[in-house]
Amino acid sequence: MRKNKLLFTLVTMAWVLSSCTSHLEDAKFHYVQAQEFSRSYRTEMAIGSYKKSLEESIKEVEKSPSSQAFMLKGLAELNLNLWEDSEQSFLAAFSYGFDKGQEWAEWVSLFGLAAAMQELGLSQSAFQIYSHLVDKSKLKPLTIFAAQKYTDMALQRALGEEDNQKERLLAGLFREIEKLTNRDLSCGFFHYLQAQILGHLRDYTRSFEECVMARELGLPTQEIFHDNDLQIVFCFQRLKQEMAFADWEKFQKLYLQWIGRWNWPDPETPDWKKR
Amino acid sequence: MTKKTFEKIVQEGIRFVARFFPQAQYLYFPLLSAALVWAIKNSQEWREKIFSWEVWLDPSFVKVKSEEFIRSFFSDHPDLSRVFAREIETDDLPALRELFYYLYPIFGLEDPFLSSLFHQELESQDYRSIVQQYDTKIAEAIVDIEAVDNKKKFLDGLETIAREMASFSAEMITQTDVQRALAEIIKNELKKEKD
Repeated sequence: MRKNKLLFTLVTMAWVLSSCTSHLEDAKFHYVQAQEFSRSYRTEMAIGSYKKSLEESIKEVEKSPSSQAFMLKGLAELNLNLWEDSEQSFLAAFSYGFDKGQEWAEWVSLFGLAAAMQELGLSQSAFQIYSHLVDKSKLKPLTIFAAQKYTDMALQRALGEEDNQKERLLAGLFREIEKLTNRDLSCGFFHYLQAQILGHLRDYTRSFEECVMARELGLPTQEIFHDNDLQIVFCFQRLKQEMAFADWEKFQKLYLQWIGRWNWPDPETPDWKKR
Repeated sequence: MTKKTFEKIVQEGIRFVARFFPQAQYLYFPLLSAALVWAIKNSQEWREKIFSWEVWLDPSFVKVKSEEFIRSFFSDHPDLSRVFAREIETDDLPALRELFYYLYPIFGLEDPFLSSLFHQELESQDYRSIVQQYDTKIAEAIVDIEAVDNKKKFLDGLETIAREMASFSAEMITQTDVQRALAEIIKNELKKEKD
């Protein structure tokens, strides 16, 4: 069972504030319960609750269709891997529109729509939605996830282009992510994304600096933490080859200070590497 | 003395995992080994990792790497350079990028579960098999692990065993030593069972 901690938090918070009718209320109750089961690894019970949530949301859209009812139906379907149904539900949610003060529901629905579209192979549309969320979403966990998806997809597109066009796309991508960092300087993950893009742009000094920021500010998973460390090592290796001697001496001194702080046994071996 | 105690804990671990996965002996080593590594490193997110390689709404690492990064990854791993010499010599980037996708989580990021799942291939340096079997083996493991009843109980038990093992593993020099010792004990136990 796949877990979606983000939706759990967002939807629970938002639902507490929203008004409900009985089927909608029941659907929400079962959805939240499913999330709780899922978080405690009780898969069968979670699936059962998602199914109940779906049943109630179907009754609700039949009785009094609304954006929230379709959003809920889409979320339950997403968790049950019913991608096509889920896509249709989110599209229906948009056709009813979202009231002022319900931007959260719009972002969550957009995110669900992008996820369903990606699963269905509609990557161009998913890319546009992630791009929109990177620009507009004010829910940090959702922005983080959309930014990662957007960056990976944008890098993939840039790779297929000729050098000039590739540089142009990468520079544009960097500016997009830089806006996120400027909005929230303390988010390590945005610095990590910048470091990755700068690596593609062969700007290894700045990539290293962003990696250090990311490491110091913290990253969401161990896997990303390891990837960030390997980017640090990669920058070190490239700069060793490319830098003029005087610059290298200066950089090396700085580099050794940082890895000393992190207890790395040597400049090319992070402390977590298997020995 | 220490080895014997470590062995005893591993035996308990095998019995415990076997209760949940009686038909999937191939999972004993990956599960125990990964849990051990996570216990040693005191990783907080291992429960999520066991039940989902791609937690749906957790951000993942950036998978699209630059050409230079990919070339550097292969040159940093001489064993891989040797096995994939043809692709490296011809600078066949599409092929190297595809190989990288399978090999980076194991050789670069050192994912403990994947490293253990492909332990045999790694020991025999049969790296092409990892690439060929990657999707099938992982899909199989996901199906088997997803099917387990009472996941919470399973994870609680696995955590206890992993922590006990970890308390003894400090005396072994490296992570590789610990995993080798563990692999050896599990192999012997399964052999005993067969005999």
